[in-house]
Order: sequence, then C-alpha cells, then structure tokens
Amino acid sequence: MSLRSKILGVAAALSLTVGGATGALAADVQLFHDKGFWSEAFQKMGDASEQDTGNRIVEVAYANPEQYKAFIQSAIASGETPDMFTWWTGGVYKDLVASGAIAELDGIWEEILATGDFVESTRDFYKVGDHIYGVPLHLSRWVAFYNKAQFAEVGIEVPKTWDELMAAADALLVAGHAPFHATVQDGWRGFIWFQEIMIRTDPAAYNGLHDGSVPYDSDAVRNAFQVWADWYAKGYFSDPRSTEEAADFARGKGSIYLIGDWAVGLIEAAGMKAGDDFGVFIMPNMDAALPPSVIVEGGPIMMSKEALDKPDVVGALKYFVSVAGANAWAEASGNYMGNNNASPPNVLVANINDTVAAEGTLALERWWEAVPADVQGEAVAEFNRFMLNPTMETAEEVMANIQEVNAEYWDSQ
Amino acid sequence: MPAGRALRRAGTQSQFERDQALLERIGWSRIEANEKRRLRRNFWVAFGFMAPAVALVSGLLLAPVVYNIYLSFTKWKRFKGLDEFAGAANYERLSTHRLFGDALYNTSLWVVASIIFPLAIGFGLAIFLRGVVLENTFKSVIFLPRILAPTAVGVIWFYVYAPDGVINRLLSLVAGGKVDIGFLYEENTVTPAIIATFVWQTVGLVMVLILLGLAAIPKDPLEAARIDGATRWQVFRSIVMPLLLPTILVVTILSVLSGFTVFDLLWIMGAANPELRTLSLAVFMYFEAFQKGSWAYGSAIAVIIGVVVLSVTWIQALLQHRVEKMTK
Repeated sequence: MSLRSKILGVAAALSLTVGGATGALAADVQLFHDKGFWSEAFQKMGDASEQDTGNRIVEVAYANPEQYKAFIQSAIASGETPDMFTWWTGGVYKDLVASGAIAELDGIWEEILATGDFVESTRDFYKVGDHIYGVPLHLSRWVAFYNKAQFAEVGIEVPKTWDELMAAADALLVAGHAPFHATVQDGWRGFIWFQEIMIRTDPAAYNGLHDGSVPYDSDAVRNAFQVWADWYAKGYFSDPRSTEEAADFARGKGSIYLIGDWAVGLIEAAGMKAGDDFGVFIMPNMDAALPPSVIVEGGPIMMSKEALDKPDVVGALKYFVSVAGANAWAEASGNYMGNNNASPPNVLVANINDTVAAEGTLALERWWEAVPADVQGEAVAEFNRFMLNPTMETAEEVMANIQEVNAEYWDSQ
Repeated sequence: MPAGRALRRAGTQSQFERDQALLERIGWSRIEANEKRRLRRNFWVAFGFMAPAVALVSGLLLAPVVYNIYLSFTKWKRFKGLDEFAGAANYERLSTHRLFGDALYNTSLWVVASIIFPLAIGFGLAIFLRGVVLENTFKSVIFLPRILAPTAVGVIWFYVYAPDGVINRLLSLVAGGKVDIGFLYEENTVTPAIIATFVWQTVGLVMVLILLGLAAIPKDPLEAARIDGATRWQVFRSIVMPLLLPTILVVTILSVLSGFTVFDLLWIMGAANPELRTLSLAVFMYFEAFQKGSWAYGSAIAVIIGVVVLSVTWIQALLQHRVEKMTK
C-alpha cells in the first residue's frame, strides 16, 4: 500500500469515526444530577431509554449537592444552562424559575395529563405562578417504616391514633427498644421529626412557617418542641449520633424510622426485606379531627428554555415520565414518581398508594424544599443542636436563633 | 548681581557650551538615541518573556482578587443580577453576625495550632528518629498520611472518632466500661479532634523537611564545639537551632498556609456538628456564598480571610527577614 493510500485510508477511518461519534452524540441526552447514590439507576435508565426510544439518557453526576447547586448557578449565569437536570422544589425552585432560564412545561404537561398517567395535583407540585416548570424525578412520601419483629415481640399493631402511637412507643420502650429512630447523620436530617410533629400538631402553623406568617418562636413551634423534648426525656429516641441510619434500623436500634419512601432500597440493602421484615404506616395526627396528611418530597427534572427546541431532549423528558420510563426508573432505583398507570416499585409504596387513595391524604410540602434557602442551612443545624441536647432550654435557644435568620429573610423580601 | 557671581556664571556657560560642542563632535546624540533604542528593545524582549507569567498572574490571581473585592460591595445573590451597589453593608452585617466571632476565633485556633503542633511533633520525631533502627521504615510510615487525599483522611477519622469508633473502644477497654464520647458532635471537642487529624496528616512532611535541614548543617562547627567541651544542649541551642532557623521558618509558612486552606477535613468530619458553619472562616464563607447563595456576602468574608492571611504572612516575612540577617 502506498503512503498516499495509507493517508487516505486513515482519513476515511477518521471521518467515519467522527461521523459515527457525532451520530451517537446526537442521540445522547445529558441529564445532570447530584444524586450519586442513584448513579447505577440512572445508567440503567439510560439503557432503557435507548432500547425504547433510540435516544440514550446519559447521566452527568455530581456527588455533592452544594457543588452541584454552584455548578447550575454558574451555568445559568454564563448562559449555558444544561438541557435537562434535576433540582429541588420549594424556595430554590422558585429562585431558579425567576432566573428566566427555565422552560415552561405547560404544553408537555397537557399531553401528560391527557394520557391519564398523572393527576393534576402532581402537576401542581411543580407550578410557580401560572406555569409549570418541572416533571417528577420522584414523588416520595415521608412515612414511618416499622420493625415488624419488634412490633410482634411486644404485641402491638400499626398505630392508627395518637394514643395508640404513644402506647406503642411505651410498650417498645419497656421491651428495651428505642421506639423512634432518628440521627443527625450528614447534617441534614435534623428537620425530619420537627416537620412531622408540626404537621401532626398544627399543620396550618407548619404551612405558615414557609410564608413567614408564623415565626419560629411562636407557640405552635414551642409546642412541637415540647412534644419532641418530652419524647427524648422519656427515652423514645435512638442515639442521634448514629452514622449508619438505615443499617442501624436494620440492626434493630430503633423501631420506627421516619424517612422518604425512597429509603426502602437502602433498608433492603442493609438486610431487611420490605413487607416481611419491615412495614409502613403514615403517622397519625395528635388531634383526630385534623385531616390525614403526609409529607411529600417532589424532586423535579427541569429543562432549559433552549432545550424546548431540541426534539431529543423533549423526547427524553417525556420518556422519563411515561409508563415505560416510570417502570424502568422504579425497577432501577425503587422510586415512585406518581405515575398512576406504572407499577409501584415495591410492596410498601403500593401500600402507601392504597392508604393515600383510601383516606384522601393531603400532601404537604417537605420542610427542606418549602423553607427559604437562606433559612434552610442554619435552621437544620439548629434542629441538630436540639437533637444532640434535647432540652427545652436548648429548644428556646434554637427557636430564637432560627427566628433571627427567618425574620431577617422575610424582612428583606 | 555681584561681579564675582556674574563672572562664574559666564565661565559656567562657556564650559557648558564647550561640553555641548564636544558631545556634538563625538556624535553623542546618536549614541544616546541608540542606547535608548537598545534599552527599549531590551525592555520589550524582557516583557515578551515575562508576558505569559504576567498574564497568568494578572488574569488568574490579581483580577479575581480585585473582582472579589468589588463583589463584596454589591448585593449580588444567586440568580440575581450584579447591578446594585451595597456600599459597606456586607461588612457591617458581618461585624454583627452571631456566628462570625466564633468562626474568627476557630480560625485563630487553627492558625496557632497549625504553627505549634506540626512543628513541635515533627521536630521531635526528626530528632528522635535520627539513627534509630528501621529509621527509614518509621519515616515512611509517618509520611504516609501526607499522600492521602484530605477527603479520604476525613472519612477515615470520622469513623475513628465515632461514638462506637476505635478511640471510644480503646477508652472503654481502659476505663473498664462503655465510653462513647461524641468527639465530633461536642462543641468543645470537635475543633481539637479535627486539628489532631490535621497534625497527623501534616507532621510527616514537617519531619522530612526538618531532617533535610538537619542534614544540611555542616559538621565542622559541631565538632569544634564538642572539642571545646560544649554539652549536647549547648550544641543544640547555640549551633543547631540557629542554623535550622531558615528551615523552621519555611516549615512554619507551609503549616500556616495549609492550616488556613484546610476545608475538606472540616467539611467531612464536622458534617453532623451543629457548629459546622463556624469551624473556620472558610466554611462560614462556603455556607453563606454557596448554600445561601449570598455571593456578595461570601465575597466580603473572603476579603476578611485574605486580610487575616496577609497579616500572618506579613509577620512571617518580617521574621524571615530577621532570620536572614542573623544567619548572614
């Protein structure tokens, strides 16, 4: 072969490679996220999307939420908003929408609702003003998982009322079990029991915290802290310094574990089998006259304005929330996204769906998303402070400190 | 005008004119022009060589610093435009912030601790390990943590300090009962615990630098002192220490800089501590800038950190100058 032929051959091979690569990239749709723990699930989702639609959803993972937030903020500031990315609802969601870089998904939601896969209330979770800016990545209900063996050991059933909950806690305590499992692991979990006690004692005040109408040093909050402190004083809670929350629940270090239903997979990975070893219930209200409610965490997927003109990206977004996509995502990650025609990812999510449907349970936004970003970090650190030293004296300091930041934020609005 | 002065002036003028004529005759203006051209050419050649470095330093170091100072006087927030001037409001807010004092105090602790502990322990190890059996093995083992990523070190020590971690288990063995101190959860223990981890990681490098400094000390003055009957302490104090001072100063500068810039350890090990925001000014800045999205306010904290760092390095530069004068 002459040198000229060799050069031409290499050039032809290169052009084929580049052409092929370009062709492959054209069908790849990047999905940016900060959920490294679901990385494998996103890759499986990519396989499923390629198989079902020909377009592959390719994850771009950030391990740290703060770095991820900084990346998205910088990307938007420099006019390079990613086509498709995950985010959070609540204050940071509204901030992002206010940047003007995010696509309105009203039209896409009309198509989605027409299929009957989702209900309007799910769509409204992603609404800001009159428009919708996200579709669900997951729609997790924050419920109580319980250790079936420990419940059976002390002869108690799932509590349906506040009194039954207290009786169950006492019985578990007498048997040597910590009734409630709660930790400050990773620094963000402090709000979990606060929000639960707030919605069980005064849901209106809970909602008022998020629009600044109810201060953090109000009687409603003080009452919630009193309940929380009493429970700690009685010994209801496990060691807040647990560094392996799900694993410690599986080891029996706490009987009732309050967390999002996305944790089913984590608990199973720690050695318990959903339905057999642990069950689920929604916590009862203190006042039986209050309507049943549950905290909902609605992680959204959002699109840049420019991506609306990219059929591959729009197709990938629609695929994610389709029945096929929801099933693939549920199988890969164990997450429910609110698609009524898709299969629930596990028996416990199916139980929750049944309960919510039967009782008409109200969905309340999770504190983490509902609280303004300016208040979030400082408040959750203060909740952690209380959990590590759970007295009313600490509670008073905590309430005052949070209210100082909260008032500063609302005064500046 | 007095006659003598007028005569001198006339004489000077004529001398000046004579000089001018001489310079003209030898073509001085041409020589001067050539010299100026040569200097100009040399300047641009030198500038050409320096240009990449000047551009890098200006673009990547000075410009961001200046821009950061400018940002600290604005109201820039996440997703919001950079169009409002705030004057000194960010600095005023900082001076009254409930947590700023704690963050500043902890940063001071870090500065002092990062000078004293790595130096004292590294120095002690360097002296102790000279000439012992398996010297190189010990040195390698002590240096090993230095090559680990700070994040990995943070994760390892997070579990070492855990309530059911190695330290508490050892303490339980010694105490004969359950000990579960929350080293990383208590306000009084979290900073010392993380500083101890920092020292564990940095002491190897300090030891190696001190060993190099000791090896560079000439043998003659040591031998002369011994022949003159000096004790080991006198040799150490009067000969070894003065000759080692430049090395100690370098080690101090390195320790302080790494103490100031430590972030990963605090972020990983202090994650569940309610005081995380105040463990150092760097963490405090990260919270304000990136978690709360108050970029302008974060920039003001960064300026304060810069001022503190500059103050410390200025003191160190003065000391270095003194040491150089002593050792000349």
